[in-house]
Amino acid sequence: MEITFGVLLWSVRIAFLLLVYVFLFRSFASLQRSLASERTQARALGTLVVERSPAKTPRVGERLSLRATNAIGRDAGNDIAIPDEAASARHAVLEQRDEEWWIEDLGSTNGTLVNGVKIEKRERVRFGDEIAIGRVALRLER
Amino acid sequence: MTRSIGENIRSVTFVLALAFLISSIGVGYWTLVASDELGSDPFNPRLVSAIRDRPRGTIVDSAGGVLAESVKATDGYKRVYKDRTLSQVVGYASFKYGTAGVEAAYAESLVGQDPADPVATWRARYLNERESPGAVVLAIDPKVQKAAADALGGRRGAIIALDPRTGAILASVSFPNYDASLIADPTTEDTAWDQVSKNVDKPLIDRARLGVYAPGSTFKLVTGATALEVGVNPDTKVRVDDPWQADPSWGSYFVRSSSKAHGDYTMADGYRLSENIYFAKIGLQIGGAKLAEYAQRFGIGSAPKCDIAAAKGQLSNTGSLDRPTLIADTSYGQGELLVSPLQMALVAAAIGRGGVMPTPHYATEVRDAAGNTIRTVAPGAAGQVIRPDTAAKFTTYLVGAVEGPGAFAFGARINGVHVAGKTGTAENPAGPPHGWFVGFAPAEAPTVAVAVIVENSGQGGLDAAPLGGRVMQTALGK
Amino acid sequence: MTLLLRRGSELRLLVWVAAIALTGFVAVAAAETTAFDRSQVLVPVLFVSMVVLLHAFLAARGLRGDQILLPMAACLTAIGLVLVQRLASSLLANQLSWTVIAAGAFIATILIPRDLTALARFKWSWALLGVALLVSPLLPVIGREINGARIWIGLGRVTFEPWEAVKIVMVVFFAAYLEEYREVIANTRRFGPLPIPPLPYLVPILAMWGFAMIVVIFEKDLGAAVLFLGIFLAMLYMATGESFYTLIGLALLLVGGFVVYHAFGHVQVRVDTWLRPFSEDMRFGAGYQIVQGLFALANGGLFGAGLGNGMPDRIPIVWSDFVFNAFAEETGFAGALALLALYLLFVYRGMLIALRAPTPFLQLLAAGLSFIVALQTLVIVGGNARLIPLTGVTLPFVAYGGSSLVTNWMLVGLLMRVSDLTARARGTE
Repeated sequence: MEITFGVLLWSVRIAFLLLVYVFLFRSFASLQRSLASERTQARALGTLVVERSPAKTPRVGERLSLRATNAIGRDAGNDIAIPDEAASARHAVLEQRDEEWWIEDLGSTNGTLVNGVKIEKRERVRFGDEIAIGRVALRLER
Repeated sequence: MTRSIGENIRSVTFVLALAFLISSIGVGYWTLVASDELGSDPFNPRLVSAIRDRPRGTIVDSAGGVLAESVKATDGYKRVYKDRTLSQVVGYASFKYGTAGVEAAYAESLVGQDPADPVATWRARYLNERESPGAVVLAIDPKVQKAAADALGGRRGAIIALDPRTGAILASVSFPNYDASLIADPTTEDTAWDQVSKNVDKPLIDRARLGVYAPGSTFKLVTGATALEVGVNPDTKVRVDDPWQADPSWGSYFVRSSSKAHGDYTMADGYRLSENIYFAKIGLQIGGAKLAEYAQRFGIGSAPKCDIAAAKGQLSNTGSLDRPTLIADTSYGQGELLVSPLQMALVAAAIGRGGVMPTPHYATEVRDAAGNTIRTVAPGAAGQVIRPDTAAKFTTYLVGAVEGPGAFAFGARINGVHVAGKTGTAENPAGPPHGWFVGFAPAEAPTVAVAVIVENSGQGGLDAAPLGGRVMQTALGK
Repeated sequence: MTLLLRRGSELRLLVWVAAIALTGFVAVAAAETTAFDRSQVLVPVLFVSMVVLLHAFLAARGLRGDQILLPMAACLTAIGLVLVQRLASSLLANQLSWTVIAAGAFIATILIPRDLTALARFKWSWALLGVALLVSPLLPVIGREINGARIWIGLGRVTFEPWEAVKIVMVVFFAAYLEEYREVIANTRRFGPLPIPPLPYLVPILAMWGFAMIVVIFEKDLGAAVLFLGIFLAMLYMATGESFYTLIGLALLLVGGFVVYHAFGHVQVRVDTWLRPFSEDMRFGAGYQIVQGLFALANGGLFGAGLGNGMPDRIPIVWSDFVFNAFAEETGFAGALALLALYLLFVYRGMLIALRAPTPFLQLLAAGLSFIVALQTLVIVGGNARLIPLTGVTLPFVAYGGSSLVTNWMLVGLLMRVSDLTARARGTE
């Protein structure tokens, strides 16, 4: 059958129908994905959102799920690894106790700041507060 | 304790999903299930849309003569019909008033979407190709048609002739008729339709296949054939005294003989002289149940499986013959009987064909634009109604009814050919009786069967018989 | 660049919407004139650009939460534009203008009010606004009667159907009221298994609903009456879980329907047309529209006659009342099923948003809004497929009609805002 205008037109029509179905399935898949990620995110006790990061990692805007106890530092073995020069290998610990979050500095070289103020040893952190480890700033969120 | 809003929302969502499912099923019904039925509804504009934009297929008779074609008009195509006598068979195709007749029954084939040719159907439907679709060939023989039209002349009624061997309909006339071209032409359609649909004589109705009447004495074909089949001895003499009733419980109802007969009748006599009382007695002898059974086998009370819709008629109001007076009345062709000429022609054809009932059809084949045959219309026989020996024996009586001494159907005689037939004069409460004739020829191996009805004729069957004879004569080529 | 990646799923889905819009327009344009009309490609391009701008706006604003509602609404609107082009191309410019206005209304809904929960505080203002909108078509200067129904208001040449907006106002009011009083209404004394309704608390909503009913009946708008009743019953049930009220409501509907059938001629016509459209007296008269609509469906088959290949123009006023049938004729049962699935997915997403919302008001709001779309779709498709009588509501997003389009996009905006609030409260994306 030669490729007449008629055949081309018919292909466009079939393409339209197929595209609608593809869109339908992709929307549904997207919904499922977002629901799944919602579930995993909601299970986190809290989240640290990267506010400032001079290097490529961690990415600005990246969300890090928190456990009950989180070791933060430059070392890769930390729960939250911050590969910044200004951060110590084992810099601080962020932990939750009785529904409250506490940050403890582990004797880091440059110290740990909460909302711009260097902490003594342990400090209570609330949601919305900003924690600075080296040159990286992290905000605590629910 | 209140349910949480969340639970309620879930319930509502479930109900909504169910409702969507039901809606889908509803939509599915109309798009998939009812699709064919609506698609062939004569008022569906899609079916007729091809008329305007592209030429519709032609309808031709058996000799190739054009009966209906699309001609180019100022704004597209319009349909033109050549033979007014076939107006109810060929029908019309109007954008506004839908389709009828062959134009309706073969609508898909005429727009190039015959199911037997799926590639062409797909091209016509999806690619919008404007090629000229092919043709529908009818079995109508122009010579026989003309003879039938001339024979009926200007009298109200119908003549239908078919070939008992195949069921192909050779001629069909119904008067009064109308000019279908006027209905198909958009400039004249409204006035023409108004005129035609309001005409009290109902020219739109094809009396040959849709008109139902009391068969009168032609029904004796059924009675007699049934009698022979169930073993009644045709040579037994039956006493006939006019008027007659079986017992006083019949009250004021009597069977009356048309010739005020008194005598002993055999079956041969009964047919030759069309004796009502003979058949009434025979009918009672057969019994209501058996008579009803064989009437049904002969197609009385059910619509023949024709390619264009045909009438159902009835055996009786209830469908069975339960009262003795009804049995008697029905046996000689009155009672509550209603039959169409097509049904009677089929009865005659079955008898002539050794008891095999043919399936009628108007068209013989469908062709594509290049002239190749896409499909042939050749439905097989409908079944064996009576035994061949019964049919053969019975035919002799029918020949006697035409050729015997004093035969009522003498008008149907043809030189050099044995004609089998029967006249009928059907009483009609609304006026003068209708005249019937059914027959077939040559009697030994018929190639044509005919049914004639002349409404409100003066002489009843005597008027109808010669018409039948002329039609059969032309069909036989004599 | 990271701006656009924030709502990446949405953007990826919009690519498909663009493809759908383009193929749809190409198919329709090419089918009408065998030559190709280049100016017609402008329409889908314009539309897609507008939708992408909406997406960029949302990303810039940092809106969180759902990412499939906008593409779905855009897809449905695109299909609507394709169909308007196909069925009534002279109205395309009009519909396109309304689409732009709808986009503006969408943006407005995203921006104001700053605090969505504040909506709940002004519930009586909403009630008043609803009443005003409902009554407005009956007013002398701005009220207009078109096609025997007095449901329009007009300013100059622009006409608007206020009842479309009333649906949303009603849902906001019900949601606010029911949040406050649902405990009271639900925890009533019981008489065996049946609750004794606390009438004083039910009065305001019954009154609001009753008023809507009366006005709508006087305006001869059967479809709006059905919708209002449905929304009322649904929200009452969702708030209280008391199926008794729903049953009473349905019983009242049947009784009311019976009365209305015998009292109002135009209702009788609709029901008779639904019962016997193919009968001799209906076919060419009152039943002509539904008969032609059913012919169109029958012509659809499984895959349709092809865009541009059907004969939808035989259906009177097909572009607003019978778009579904026109779409089904040209894309078949497959296309119709896809369209219904799109609506179902939309409603499903709306209900999911409702389930996750942080406060009862927001839950009821989102659920009510989703229910509007669901019920409206079901009522019109039901009428189109002769499952129920025709009522004059139109298919959301797809049918021709500016007021409907604008209010439905505002509905989408509200749903997305609820989703955003949920995401912020939970700390998810």
